[in-house]
This record gives sequence, structure tokens and C-alpha cells, in this order.
Amino acid sequence: MSGLDWLSAIFLLVGAAFFLAGTVGLLRFPDVYTRLHALAKADNLGLGCIVIGLLFQADSLAAALKLVLVWLLALAASATVSFLVAHRAWRRGIAPWRADEPGIRRHDES
Amino acid sequence: MPRFPLRALFWRGALFAVLWWILAGGRADSWGVGLVSVALALAASLALLPPRGNLPSWRGLAEYLAFFLAQSVRGGVQVAGMALRPRLDLHPGVLEIMLRLPDGAGRVVLANTLNLLPGTLSVGLEGARLRLHVLDTRRPVAEEVRVAERHVARMFGLRLAA
Repeated sequence: MSGLDWLSAIFLLVGAAFFLAGTVGLLRFPDVYTRLHALAKADNLGLGCIVIGLLFQADSLAAALKLVLVWLLALAASATVSFLVAHRAWRRGIAPWRADEPGIRRHDES
Repeated sequence: MPRFPLRALFWRGALFAVLWWILAGGRADSWGVGLVSVALALAASLALLPPRGNLPSWRGLAEYLAFFLAQSVRGGVQVAGMALRPRLDLHPGVLEIMLRLPDGAGRVVLANTLNLLPGTLSVGLEGARLRLHVLDTRRPVAEEVRVAERHVARMFGLRLAA
């Protein structure tokens, strides 16, 4: 393997590790809001690392830019979807989990 | 709109042309369909987001991107660390903050940006009032929101309310 292949492999593995951590957060965190934090942030960094890893293997400038474009579109979609899910959860009265009183509650504000 | 927005037209057209070139993988024989697509995208963008005269500043955009990248890494590392701790140590809470950005796309971009920054998640945006879910209330989140707000304002060339 050449140096570039090694760099590519390292970034791909780091990216996979962030995806794994995001998924662990999704499973372990207590409510919808904290889970959205885990997904939006860890997975986007994971995807960024995977895109960088693949950039080392891209065979044309257009292919490289397409990878970056994929990442930007995924970022925009992820940020927007997080907002929509969190907003809907709030509107339905799902109160955020709190460290001092664990358990699912409802809040009365709109 | 005082005058026909030629500059905005030019930059948007250039952006869509570059996007087409990327999507087509640099093939030269696709430009027949490409030019039609660029024209349609331009028409859609003018209808959905009419130009307001001031273009985003290149320097503001570069600074915003650098800030965004650095904070994304911080946010990802922080939440990955929290998820992988043997004992969860979460102190979430809700924070309401009055934005100083003027009404419009800037507020939406800020709300979306905060979803990808460390420890903040936008839950609601009504007028200037932004409701955030915060992953760790022990951290100075409000100050970080103000920093992000300044970056968005500089990128769009917007003036912040006092």
C-alpha cells in the first residue's frame, strides 16, 4: 500500500468509529432530543472523515468535488431533519429528559 | 428591487453551472441537458429566494466555513465521548435566546448551523426567539450561540440588532 492508501484507510476507519459512536449514542441516550444530538453531530463528522478518506482515492477533480457535494447535502439534510423532528416532538408536548428527574414527562407549554 | 440583479444572476448561474459539471462528472457531451437544467435552476432560485442586493461576502463565507469545520469536529468528538462513557453523564436542558439577526434566511441558517455545533439542537424558531435543546447546561452555550450568530451575520453582510 502507498502512503495515500494508508491515509485513506486511516480516515475511513476514524469515520466508521464516529458512526459507531453515534449509533451507540442513539441507543443509550435517554430521549428524542439527546438522541438527535448523537446522530446529527457524530454521524456528520463520521461522514466527513469518510469523504476525506475517499478523496485520496478519487480519480478526477469532478469526482472529488462530487464527494464534497454529497457531504454538504447530507449536512444540510441532517440539520434540517433534526430541527423538524425536535420541533415536532416539542409541539407534541414531549418534555426533555432531565438529570435530576429521569423518566418520560410532558410539558404544558406549546 | 431598484435595479435588475445582474450580479446575483451571474453568480448563481456560475454556481449552478459548476454544480452541473460536478454532477455530470466533467463530461463535455452533457452540456445540452446541462444548460437547460442550469436555466431552470436559475429560474427556480430567483422565484424562491429573490436577490436582495447584497451578495454574501467571500471572506465572511471562508471564515464561517473554517469556524463551522472546527466546531463540527469539536461537536462530533464531544458527543462521541459522551456516548461511549461507561456511565452516562448528561445534563440536558432547554434554553431560549433572542436572536439579534434580522428576519430572514440568516436566522434559518443559524438555527440549522447550531444543530451541527457542539451541544446545541434547535427545537423552535418563532420570530427572533430561538428555543434550543442543550446537551450540557454546565457549559457556556449562550456565548457560543452569539459567536455563531456573528459568523452568520458577517457571511450574509447583515447587521445585528443591539
